[in-house]
Amino acid sequence: MTSLNKASTDLETLIEISGLYQVFGNKAKSVLPMVKAGKSKDEVLAETGHTVGLRDINLDVKRGEIFVIMGLSGSGKSTMIRHFNRLIDPTEGQIKVEGEDIMQLSDEELIQFRRHKMSMVFQHFGLMPHRTVLDNVAYGLAIQNVDKKERLASANQWLETVGLAGYGDQYPAQLSGGQQQRVGLARALCTNAEILLMDEAFSALDPLIRSEMQDQLIELQAKLKKTIIFITHDLDEALRIGDRIAILKDGILSQVGKPVDILLHPADDYVEAFVKDVNRARALNTQTLMQDIGNILGSQSVESAIHSLNENQQEYGFVSNQDGYQGVVTRVQLEQVAANDNAMDICCDELLIKVPSVSPDQSLQSAIPEALGHNFALPVTCEEGKLVGSIPRSEIAQVLES
Amino acid sequence: MSDTSWLSKFPQLERGDLIAIRKTLDGAYREFSRNYGDTIESLFDPLLTFLIWFEKLLIASPWWLTIGVILAIVYGASRSWKLCTGVLASLLAIGILGMWDDTMRTLSIITVCTLLSIGIGIPTGILMSRSNRAQAIVTPILDVMQTMPAFVYLIPVVMLLGIGKIPGVIAVIIYAVPPVIRLTNLGIRLVNKETLEAATAFGATAKQRLFGIQLPLAMPTIMAGINQTIMMALAMVVVASMIGVKGLGQPVLKSITNQYFTLGLFNGLAIVALAIIFDRVSQTYAKRTQKHLGGMNND
Amino acid sequence: MHKQTFVAGAMVLLSSASFAADSCGQVTIADMNWNSASLMANIDKYILEEGYGCEIELIPGDTMPTGASMIEKGEPDVAPEMWSNAMRDALQKGVDDKRLRFAGSSLSDGGEEGFWVPKYLVEMDSSLATIDGILKNPQLFKHPEDDSLGALYSCPAGWNCQISTQNLYVALGMEEAGFDIIDPGSSAGLSGSIARAYERGQGWLGYYWAPTAVLGKYEMVKVDFGSGIDEEHFTTCLTQEDCLDPRPSMWPPAPVKTMTTESFATREPAAYDYFTKRSFTNNKMNVLLAWMEFNQADGEIAAEYFLKNNEEMWTNWVSADVAAKIKASLN
Repeated sequence: MTSLNKASTDLETLIEISGLYQVFGNKAKSVLPMVKAGKSKDEVLAETGHTVGLRDINLDVKRGEIFVIMGLSGSGKSTMIRHFNRLIDPTEGQIKVEGEDIMQLSDEELIQFRRHKMSMVFQHFGLMPHRTVLDNVAYGLAIQNVDKKERLASANQWLETVGLAGYGDQYPAQLSGGQQQRVGLARALCTNAEILLMDEAFSALDPLIRSEMQDQLIELQAKLKKTIIFITHDLDEALRIGDRIAILKDGILSQVGKPVDILLHPADDYVEAFVKDVNRARALNTQTLMQDIGNILGSQSVESAIHSLNENQQEYGFVSNQDGYQGVVTRVQLEQVAANDNAMDICCDELLIKVPSVSPDQSLQSAIPEALGHNFALPVTCEEGKLVGSIPRSEIAQVLES
Repeated sequence: MSDTSWLSKFPQLERGDLIAIRKTLDGAYREFSRNYGDTIESLFDPLLTFLIWFEKLLIASPWWLTIGVILAIVYGASRSWKLCTGVLASLLAIGILGMWDDTMRTLSIITVCTLLSIGIGIPTGILMSRSNRAQAIVTPILDVMQTMPAFVYLIPVVMLLGIGKIPGVIAVIIYAVPPVIRLTNLGIRLVNKETLEAATAFGATAKQRLFGIQLPLAMPTIMAGINQTIMMALAMVVVASMIGVKGLGQPVLKSITNQYFTLGLFNGLAIVALAIIFDRVSQTYAKRTQKHLGGMNND
Repeated sequence: MHKQTFVAGAMVLLSSASFAADSCGQVTIADMNWNSASLMANIDKYILEEGYGCEIELIPGDTMPTGASMIEKGEPDVAPEMWSNAMRDALQKGVDDKRLRFAGSSLSDGGEEGFWVPKYLVEMDSSLATIDGILKNPQLFKHPEDDSLGALYSCPAGWNCQISTQNLYVALGMEEAGFDIIDPGSSAGLSGSIARAYERGQGWLGYYWAPTAVLGKYEMVKVDFGSGIDEEHFTTCLTQEDCLDPRPSMWPPAPVKTMTTESFATREPAAYDYFTKRSFTNNKMNVLLAWMEFNQADGEIAAEYFLKNNEEMWTNWVSADVAAKIKASLN
């Protein structure tokens, strides 16, 4: 059920950013009014020598979601993520975590905040070449002065979790890029911080390793339920792992939304151009298109089933009993049977049409074959076979057209 | 014509004014040296005592014991028997050619100068690396220290502190400390930004960053600076002997004045031998301790 | 046009003919790197240029290279202040070979060498002007590195005087009296150590020589060994490294000569004649050097000062009409 819940929007807000501006230069504050007046980045640079990094950023991140910030190089995304733990201080604006304004933190409080609330994974790993892999993973705990035995035990455990058991005594330079980033991930997880900042974490890896790491992240997230802020320049990656995506262009947020919204309803020309070339069927998984099924038929009589369909003005209905999803019954067929046997249970092989179901984290592309050969919406079931939703054919058509 | 003479001739100060300026400054310095010389000299007394003690220790110890200790240090730092053999051979040659005492004197003063240079240089380098303003102030001072002819400050120092070891040490350090400062600064500034950012992101304090990340990662560069510093200190041995520092420099000076070429060559070679010993030992030490930083990349 | 050229040419011819006795070509003079030598070089330059119409070029130099160059290459023409002991044999050979001439004594008293103590010490205790008084008071001459010893600042390593100082140290029994020899490394180190002691009114004992700016500036007293000068013993033993039985002797005065090349002496007899007469007493030179030091004057300025203020001296060195020319140019 978790995978379903995280897609919904009524979750608690964990991080809230409002009115954030970042101007680089010696007299940033004095240039700010000019930026607010709407002068372009180039104009400001030409007139004052200051670079506008971010402009009026407002967004919020929900607890437990993977929030992706996507943009091309120079869009300000790496600057953006460094505001969350104040590696960079904004020129103006508010950053609240759990309702607390972190701009107000004292130096000491900020250090504590970084130690316990957030951890970070870096594009080029940012590992310490002079420390062993194990010491690298334990670094966050070491600077908190956690007892050595305790922190190494914890580090070992996380190394195992990311699949690097036995590599603890090696030095980072002895590992491959993918392995090094796993160390980076283990290091970030080792402090048990709730929020994970990932700055282009997989961008430096080659495509095969990258996709492997994405899988691992999704898998881990299912277990750990962290709040992850993930920076990428790769839209496919964003669509694949993001619960919500923010698109950043020249320091301005163009659009924030679920992957499907971004793909199907781009907010402006920029986003549209961006998503144009995406293979939507592959980028979207079934879950993003899935809709709730209002009325699910159970183990019941033909008569009551017809009644139920009529009431909801449905031509057909999905049937699910204690064993999970069973198939589809149509009203036309039910009405034919009803003439003979009104009390017959609909859960029988004569009535049920075995429309194959798909799983929610399957790509749309792989689900399309299942949609062929019938005219019904595509049922989606979770692992235990339970019916969780369906994808209307119109949705599929909309995704595939264009 | 006389009105435009400044066009052809540089309009310099009147001769009288120039002399007045020079006299005033010289007089001020004399006054300063008269009033504070003793006080400043007494500040250096502990250092002088240590220098004398250390020199006596090196000279008075039996030669085989001194060689033994040196070899132990060399082996401890380098773990190389080959290097030890080379060091042993050069020390024996120095002794046989009658330069043992002078070599010990030079060794003692160079060791002290190196330690002091490190003690002064690394903190200064750290300061420079943390503040661009400090860097902007210190860099030109270092340039002056390295290019100002030594005698310009040697004689005023002699007036203040007398001839002998202390002014010698000061002269050597002025000349030799810039590399370790520069390279400490450079080394820290070159530390991978992301690695440092990572430490910050995990909540490391400034101190934890400095000792846990910056200094260890800058260490190869800093070691190169220390190496340079030792070499420059040795190069100053002859200059220091011009203000009465005993050691290998004095015979060199003597041989220059009298054109005793062989004497000059022997003592010069002894200085070179010391330089090579210091250099190889510090380099192999650095290489040995920094092995994992690179070069073993096997992916 | 032609007429004018002719007239001008005739005048040149005439003038050069009528002043033939005074005419003088190019002369090079060594400008040594210490004050008294530089002063003399500049006085010579002024007098030769204004009085004799020479064209003078000053060539910077030091005793050894200048001497060697004069013998071998005949350049420069004049060395105004040559401490000839420094390379006695070589110079004597040059004279014998008719390459050099000792024109005269630049310092009529000769150079003065010896052990010196500051005057204020002697004023405090007059016995400190003698070696006996000094040997009884090593504690007044503090050793920089060992409080229990007295210090004798020697002549810098490699100089000839280092050997005589070392021998006298033995001959005077200074080691037994608790003195240690300190090598100052260089003349700058040596004078620096005097300046430091003097500015603070501390004791100082060591080798030095006069006339020098240092002794002009800091009043020092030459220590009396009570032995007089035994020139024979001094040259045969005290100046030799293998002197087995050193006995005390004061330094004999060092000859300080004006030296010219033979070719200069024959080429410019009038100017050479000037060099045979140009000479200073040590007292006069010390005063001049002190003035230079006090005013931080270089040789050129000091030469002008000397010529303006010491007419009675230099007019004896030249003929009356040359003196008149120089006087005219000074005003």
